[in-house]
Amino acid sequence: MTSDQGSREIDLTVTINGMEVRRRVPARLLLSDFIRDEVGLTGTHVGCEHGYCGACTVIADGDAIRSCSTLAVQVDGSDIRTVEDLASDGELTPMQQAFHENHAMQCGFCTAGFLMTLESVDPDDYREPEQVVELLSGNLCRCTGYQNIVKAVCSVWGVEGRRRDSQ
Amino acid sequence: MKPAAFDYCRPASIDEAAAALASSDSAKVLAGGQSLVPSMNFRISQPSLLVDIRDVEGLDGLEVDQDGVSIGASVTQSRVMNSDEAYSAVPGLRRALRFVGHLQIRNRGTVCGSLAHADPAAELPALAMAAGARLTVRGPQGERTAAADGFYLGPYWTGLEQSEIITGVCFPAEAPGTVTVVDEIARRSGDFAVVGLAAAFDLEDGSVGGARLVSFGVSGRPQRLAAAEEAVRGFHAGAAGDGLYGAAYEDAADAVGDIHASGEYRREALGSLLVRTARAVSASNGGKAGAR
Repeated sequence: MTSDQGSREIDLTVTINGMEVRRRVPARLLLSDFIRDEVGLTGTHVGCEHGYCGACTVIADGDAIRSCSTLAVQVDGSDIRTVEDLASDGELTPMQQAFHENHAMQCGFCTAGFLMTLESVDPDDYREPEQVVELLSGNLCRCTGYQNIVKAVCSVWGVEGRRRDSQ
Repeated sequence: MKPAAFDYCRPASIDEAAAALASSDSAKVLAGGQSLVPSMNFRISQPSLLVDIRDVEGLDGLEVDQDGVSIGASVTQSRVMNSDEAYSAVPGLRRALRFVGHLQIRNRGTVCGSLAHADPAAELPALAMAAGARLTVRGPQGERTAAADGFYLGPYWTGLEQSEIITGVCFPAEAPGTVTVVDEIARRSGDFAVVGLAAAFDLEDGSVGGARLVSFGVSGRPQRLAAAEEAVRGFHAGAAGDGLYGAAYEDAADAVGDIHASGEYRREALGSLLVRTARAVSASNGGKAGAR
């Protein structure tokens, strides 16, 4: 690293889904493009590219983040998880299975983002349907109308009761 | 939708960071990047140099004592929102932060970054003004402090010089008898406010003794509502709201119209929001009004 001028390319080391990745990347490379184009993990989808739709959500050091609004250099040294890390040996996680059973996806473009947001949190913090809805407000879905997504989440997390509003 | 090329550096000390920032007219501080990177994706912002402050020593402190909550420049919004100690000292912080973006954005976005970015519709600058927060600013000439009230000059425009960095902010502890509320009207959860209000009410026997009222999302910057602060004195839960509504309407004379709402709508909505908020706070008699 240079001191006060900076440089256009940066050496980067991250762990992605348990695998250490070292690359020299342009400073301007977005984390979403790093994951997709450099590492070849295309399960992370890129929708709006300005932090609005949530399709690109990945987990960095335990926290859900927007990979399109994060530079790859910002996660140097971090532990990244993407949707490819969920199922193992072809066996879906309970949440993935519930999405399947409840028809919580249609085109599937947003699904990886939803799954990673859900994977990042402690279900004990979300005991009311309204809390689940608020949690999911950072992920847009243009197919399902959300009802089946909420249903899938509530079934896995044991959240019961009707929503007080009908928004 | 990709950032233009730029140079990047990650200094380890605040002096190096300040020097790097001073080396170019279009250098920018990178903290969480949750406003900066999207604006670079759009190429609205094309800095020549990003000074990433993640490794700068001494900026990651979140300290709560009887004086208040001190938040370093690299402390994320989620960390502050999840701190029960910060909530009990300055309840307005959690009340404002739940409106800031979404979980995924708060996990990287910083409190000080939002204060420096100065989006006219942002919650935190308005709260900082209402709560009497003070910013610590570091530049080539050393350190200074600045009151948040008076710091905001226009859209994305503050009293910060090009070579200065906000290193931290201190929100004073909420005084007994004071209730701080942040509320807003937005089309969807997590959207920028069409109209917002950050308010610190000093309550005396169920009526309002005084208040610091700040609008956001209404004009080009967070703005103290001088007429409404006069009109709200003596307000109580059963009071008619017309005078207070009218005062807020006058305060918002320079409300801007855009694709989301006309200026007239913003003036009316601000008046309604203020009356509704003042009623709820008075009715609670200094209890937990505004807690959500």
